[in-house]
Amino acid sequence: MGNQRAYLWCIGPALILMFLILLLPIFIAAGMSFTNYSLGNTSADFVGLENYEQIFTRSTYAKMFGATFRYVFLVVPMTVGLGLGAALLINSLTRFGEVYKTIYFLPVMSALIAMAIVWEFAFHPTIGIINATLERGCGTFLEGWTWYAKGCARTFPLWLTDRDYAIWTVSFIGIWQGFGFNMVLYLAGLTGIPRDLYHAAEMDGTQSAWDRFCLVTWPMLGPTTVFVVTISFIRSFQVFDTVEAFYPQGGGPSKSVYVMMFAIYEKAIQQNLMGIGAAITMVFLGFVMILTLIQRWLVERRTHYA
Amino acid sequence: MSSISLRTITKSFGDAMVLDGVDLDIKDGKFVTLVGPSGCGKSTLLRILAGLEATDAGTVTIGKRDVTQTRPSLRNLAMVFQSYALYPHLSVAQNMLTPLLMRDLTKTQRLPVIGPLISRAKRKALTAQVDAVAQTLKITELLTRKPGQLSGGQRQRVALGRAMVRNPVAFLMDEPLSNLDAALRVHMRSELTELHRRLKTTFVYVTHDQAEALTMSDRMAVMMGGKILQFGRPDDIYRDPNSLAVARFVGSPAINTLSSEIDEQGTLTVLGESMGRFSGLSQQSVVVGIRPEHLTLSKTGRFGGMVKHRENLGSDVFLHLVVDGHADVVVVRATPAHAPALAAQVRFTMSSDHLLIFGADGQRLRAEHTTSKVAV
Repeated sequence: MGNQRAYLWCIGPALILMFLILLLPIFIAAGMSFTNYSLGNTSADFVGLENYEQIFTRSTYAKMFGATFRYVFLVVPMTVGLGLGAALLINSLTRFGEVYKTIYFLPVMSALIAMAIVWEFAFHPTIGIINATLERGCGTFLEGWTWYAKGCARTFPLWLTDRDYAIWTVSFIGIWQGFGFNMVLYLAGLTGIPRDLYHAAEMDGTQSAWDRFCLVTWPMLGPTTVFVVTISFIRSFQVFDTVEAFYPQGGGPSKSVYVMMFAIYEKAIQQNLMGIGAAITMVFLGFVMILTLIQRWLVERRTHYA
Repeated sequence: MSSISLRTITKSFGDAMVLDGVDLDIKDGKFVTLVGPSGCGKSTLLRILAGLEATDAGTVTIGKRDVTQTRPSLRNLAMVFQSYALYPHLSVAQNMLTPLLMRDLTKTQRLPVIGPLISRAKRKALTAQVDAVAQTLKITELLTRKPGQLSGGQRQRVALGRAMVRNPVAFLMDEPLSNLDAALRVHMRSELTELHRRLKTTFVYVTHDQAEALTMSDRMAVMMGGKILQFGRPDDIYRDPNSLAVARFVGSPAINTLSSEIDEQGTLTVLGESMGRFSGLSQQSVVVGIRPEHLTLSKTGRFGGMVKHRENLGSDVFLHLVVDGHADVVVVRATPAHAPALAAQVRFTMSSDHLLIFGADGQRLRAEHTTSKVAV
């Protein structure tokens, strides 16, 4: 008779751990987001939706959303596009594919915080290799480009400290660091496409690589793409290390690189405002949940080829 | 007229020689089967004909046109793959429409979104073509489904439909029935022959199953070790094989092969009994082949043996006999009503008209049977 409950012993440990490690902290954070709790305080006041009101009204948080969405909506398409492009190119190689794979994957494996220091030097306005290289182009045909001419006449941008450039520079590093990961996922997806489909496409009369891509490769990569896009979104929302390395105080010039993760860190850890930090975390969780639900929906609806 | 001819096709993968100077002529409208054991190069030959594989040497001619260097999509051939290779993201109708879209629409007409708008009339005509083919293959009710929702047999039909929608010079089929269950396979055999009769288009069909080759084709090419050993009508190949390898490969159950001797007078001795004289053969060891249906059980037969194994196929019973003093097992066809039990001693006769004599090198020795001394 007792055997009927045996399943509880099987699922029990996982259930308890999931509750303790995942769900409980979320509930606590959700609860905390309605208070003005600070670490070390014995009690906290219930403030209702005040924290959330701040997030959606104050200009700091408007900047936070601006920086986050700029980063996400540049980095996601670029890492997905470049990842796919690199995967297709490597897949078409008969030799040296492994070498390129390694090269493109290296940034993914490296510690971003260490790489941030290297990039900081590279982007340095006077001793950095980037501006030094750009200056060499002065006096050539490149000056026909007004932006370039302006750079030669005065100075080239202070990439990391100019508020017009900072978020894009950080995004560039995010792309550089992230697309190798997508490339590997796409390479795995490409090996799963049956060779026969390409042969069938050829027999059916496709002649250009573009036709082949539209008819076979892209649709067959559908499930991979859904996964890659979701993962890229979540990873981009989570960007933190570069921002923390470049701008330990304040989130960049005029808070132009004040991304969500950094905001959570600044509010909850640096300023010990747990309530507002928890509220930003809940908003962040909301975004990730929406993305995950979209992914689930797509996987079940459209891209599932039995 | 679009006959196909392959001349001295040679292909090797690395060190492995897969095709060794193969010549093959396929007349327009014939159903030709390439049959052989796995690894004999039959699929490679078909893929070279299709253009999916490049030849190392030799030429492929379709009609009067040398297509050796032409890419597959310009050869106007249709292929049915063993895996069917249907596009899993497209419905059956879209799968069948694809070859038409690729051939009959311009690049701009194929663009997503705008394409369908600017080529509506043309697409309507093509869809009508698909419907007509679907009707012939009786798959109209499947048109809206995805390949993932179809059974093996249905997928097979769709693959066939995709090949049929445009009028190709020839249909190439690479073991299309091997993924189907036995009953459906037999059924599809007759359907394919029926289809061939109606379409009157060349079929080139690759299979490892000699039964498919025998039942379906106008001509069959038996391939082994990268060579075509024999090319001809299935009947002729079954009755009159050129070599021991062909004789052994074609026919089920396999032909009986008995090591025998020819003495200096030209007398052939099989299983210790003289089968009469054969002119033109010198004294040598030979292998005699005789089909199970040419051995008859008879109480007064010259040969005797013990039933070691019975294979009951319902319509026939094949008896595996051990003949005293000989290593070779002899398979005899018997009618179920008269089939003896296991371990029974039986006697049988052998008709010397159906003896096939092969030399030590496996090549057929064609000899005139001079003294008819048929066993009683």
